[in-house]
Amino acid sequence: MTHRQVDVPVIARVEGEGALHITAKDGEILDLRLEIYEPPRYFEAFLQGRHFSEVPDIVPRICGICPVAYQMSAVHGLEELFGVQVSEGTHDLRRLLYCGEWIESHILHIFLLAVPDFLGMHSAIEMAKDHPELVKKVLDIKRIGNDIMEVVGGREIHPVSPRVGGFSRAARKRELDPLLPRLEWALEQMPGIADFVASLPSPSLPRDVELVSMVHPSEFPMNEGSMASTRGKRWEFSEYEAVTQELHVEHSNALHSLMTDTQTPYHTGPLARVNLNADLLTPVAKDCMARAGLTIPEGDPFFSMAARIAESTLAIEEAIRIIRGYVPPEPSMAEVVPRAGRAMWVTEAPRGSLYHRYDVAEDGTILEAKIVPPTSQNLRHMEEDLRMFLPGVLDRPDEELTRLCEMVVRNYDPCISCATHFLSLDLQRV
Amino acid sequence: MTRVRVVGVGNPEAGDDAVGLLAVRSARADLEALGAEVVETGAGLHVVDLLSGAAAVVVVDAVRAPRGGRAPGTIVRAEAGPEGLPAEVGSSLSSHGFGVAEAVGLAAALDDAPRVVFVGVEVADVTAGHGLSPAVASVLPELAARVVTEARLLSAT
Repeated sequence: MTHRQVDVPVIARVEGEGALHITAKDGEILDLRLEIYEPPRYFEAFLQGRHFSEVPDIVPRICGICPVAYQMSAVHGLEELFGVQVSEGTHDLRRLLYCGEWIESHILHIFLLAVPDFLGMHSAIEMAKDHPELVKKVLDIKRIGNDIMEVVGGREIHPVSPRVGGFSRAARKRELDPLLPRLEWALEQMPGIADFVASLPSPSLPRDVELVSMVHPSEFPMNEGSMASTRGKRWEFSEYEAVTQELHVEHSNALHSLMTDTQTPYHTGPLARVNLNADLLTPVAKDCMARAGLTIPEGDPFFSMAARIAESTLAIEEAIRIIRGYVPPEPSMAEVVPRAGRAMWVTEAPRGSLYHRYDVAEDGTILEAKIVPPTSQNLRHMEEDLRMFLPGVLDRPDEELTRLCEMVVRNYDPCISCATHFLSLDLQRV
Repeated sequence: MTRVRVVGVGNPEAGDDAVGLLAVRSARADLEALGAEVVETGAGLHVVDLLSGAAAVVVVDAVRAPRGGRAPGTIVRAEAGPEGLPAEVGSSLSSHGFGVAEAVGLAAALDDAPRVVFVGVEVADVTAGHGLSPAVASVLPELAARVVTEARLLSAT
């Protein structure tokens, strides 16, 4: 009889601290707990009593990797409540900003965090020694995403120009144009990069899942649309808290999300988006998704990396399209008059659907804020993945088992990726 | 090419994690007088981009010793070698598993690293919503002076 207890304690930055505890006996999982401590709870309290105009400066501080997502869910929700119509130029510029964040976040995740796992390497540093040209190439692509965010959002720690009503300063065409040749170069690289990803040996976890993301009639969803699941459900942002449910679990400071009707977990993120919006992928993105080996429908979370390849390519193509046709919004800000009520909105963060709700007083003061980040929505699903995946690999050596656990969790690109990176494995046998 | 770039890394909302930002902010005038470029960034993963286009880079960040045992407020200085930063510097509380140490190591692996001097401060508390802990706050002036000294030495070489 073997009784293994695997503890994966971790230290992480503000995006969350977490740990994974597994106890197994005779190849059976007795206990499995993914613990995570997330910051939005603090920010929800911090937002109370603030003027709505401060929200776009506060929420991006929640995450160093996806500040744009937090800003976008907030500004769109508040604009809908206040009845603000923004111009086409503002719509385009916000989509471009989001493209920058998707490019940076996805490329970082694929190559600096996930691919080294798939190659059986300890880190991107080890990978850089074997694949220096590839790593230089992807760092250049990642930098384009970062530069888009700087040009559109401002060269600060967090984007500073997005406002409720538009942009405090709209990027000029001549500031965006120098990005075009770099984006065109990046687009040419993506098919080869997709082929490389397809060549990686990958575990598999075929399972029947409910994937959840935004849908939109005419564009791959980022900022606008409504919600859908692969089980045929459709709902509006205003129904989010009815259709899904947050559950307090004793072992975690984060809440776990479930579908209210079935009381089962769901998976949000790139794999969900490409499943529910495959027809809206841009041409090269479709080609790259096929090259990366992903055919829709597909629920195996190990295909998330291929979905990120498709979305990175889409973001590059969309950025090219937007910059080519860009006409700066004039004026850059619509007039905003607050009104009392409830703002509810979702946008698609790189790692999944990000729901914000604000209860606002007549003078624009935030009375209450609620933020449901994609990582906490996926937590229960990650635990299920681990429960299903681990029995088949429990006989592997500690180091490999740890790496496999990391890979399962990392499919979701959680805000606890850090949590599974600095592993110190504490294994107890009795 | 920039001669010397000084990069402060941190989260302004997370206790001692702000220390890198606060240090370069308070030293900014002195640093700019030396001709150094001063950059503040919210995530360690951006550092990989900030290592290019400069002859030398000073990175200032909060750190945690690999296995603990270093008093909060301890200032740590390290120079990057061919393998990046020495392991005893510790984790720079990296965001999403890719922080300053990884960025420097990656640049070194690609033979693309400038001279990198890392100045870190051992943290006590990085809770969202907290300010600097007393131990870290008390070394902030010393840290800022140290950063200016490092930048001055690098400017002279």
